[in-house]
Amino acid sequence: MKTSHSIYQDGNHRWLAIVRDPERAGHLIDTNEFLVESGGDSLLCDPGGIEIFPAVFSALCAEADPTAIRGIFASHQDPDIISSLALWLDFNPALKCYTSWLWATFLPHFGGTADTFVSIPDEGMPIPLGALDLRAIPAHYLHSSGNHHLYDPKARILFSGDVGAALLPPERNGLFVEDFDSHIRFAEGFHRRWMGSNAAKMAWCERVAALEIDMLCPQHGAIYQGADVGRFIQWFADLDVGRLRE
Amino acid sequence: MDVSTFEGVGAPSAQESLLARIVRVNEEIKAIVATAFKINLMALNAIFLAKRAGTAALGFGVLSNELRRFAEDLTREMAALRVMTAGSVSTVSSLMQQRRLNSILAATVKECADAQIPALTPVVERGEWSMDEQLTRLRALDKSLHGALADTNRLAELGGVLARSAKIEAAYGGRYSTALMQVSTDFAEVIELIKLSLEKLTKERLAKDR
Repeated sequence: MKTSHSIYQDGNHRWLAIVRDPERAGHLIDTNEFLVESGGDSLLCDPGGIEIFPAVFSALCAEADPTAIRGIFASHQDPDIISSLALWLDFNPALKCYTSWLWATFLPHFGGTADTFVSIPDEGMPIPLGALDLRAIPAHYLHSSGNHHLYDPKARILFSGDVGAALLPPERNGLFVEDFDSHIRFAEGFHRRWMGSNAAKMAWCERVAALEIDMLCPQHGAIYQGADVGRFIQWFADLDVGRLRE
Repeated sequence: MDVSTFEGVGAPSAQESLLARIVRVNEEIKAIVATAFKINLMALNAIFLAKRAGTAALGFGVLSNELRRFAEDLTREMAALRVMTAGSVSTVSSLMQQRRLNSILAATVKECADAQIPALTPVVERGEWSMDEQLTRLRALDKSLHGALADTNRLAELGGVLARSAKIEAAYGGRYSTALMQVSTDFAEVIELIKLSLEKLTKERLAKDR
């Protein structure tokens, strides 16, 4: 069973992290889902795969009202990101799914109609939610060729999809990164192999270094906060990516 | 709740899906949990007030202790109810997932009707078996939830009686009478809210029971 944790709250503006499922089958990669709430509406970031839908839905219901979900943000097209789409749409057929224009005709293979998808242009766009203007930030080729992250300027939180992901052993199950140097070892191989372009990586690093970020929330592994956010961006900028083997 | 046919599990239709109903029950229970927490604080305040009032509020003091115990019991009952509804949400969402897979399989069988592919039969059977198994689990959960709701209803009745008695005792509270009356009225109102929520939950379930 996954658990929900509130990682930011200011009145009705809240970020909920849905993380860690000890009962998850070992052959499934562990994922984090994030729910952003504002003014009674909410947006679910990378809701996960079809296999984990019951775990995500139950954990979300424990802390939030799922009927308030107005949209889904899919950072890219992978099955661990969005293959549960049809089930979320069964629950609420009016949901909108925000994703890169590149995947607008691919994601309907997971479910949805022509009305479901809102295409995000390459340069990103604002995504309104309650009193907030969230922003889809370009992160192309990191690792998907059509890829966006979600920035909340008020909470100063960046949902960073696969960037910042770490494949952690079961005993390292903390919500936040506690020791950057030992944590980053579990992120290195993943980033070298999955992030395909040094040029794309540098463009992203420059883009996000200009944002005010208190928390960087990846789709796998622990959340970076405070000074670890800057440390991560610098570490990533220095890393030679797009390599088959170290 | 009609778990025998689980109409609408995962199917977008005019009829509200079972998952949406379970979610509504879950939300209602979360609201009662929040109220139960409020009662706990109110009972503590009542105990302090009774102590300040001294001998004039001896009877009220006894009742406020009982109300405090009631609030603790209610919190415990609600925690158990939350676990049960969380289990129901999980089972219904699994059912929804299985139903979608089964409907895709059924469409495949239909498409392949002319080709006669015997290997599809056990696949469909496994899907149906899995659905039946989850349905059995859901029925068991539904039964437990019914029982727990009935227990909580009885507890809320007791809370109502305690609140009424507290009102009577408040009348003997001398110069603290007004303050004690206010506390006991607040109690009665909150307990009434809880009873209304529980009644709504019970009615909803019974109305759709087999």
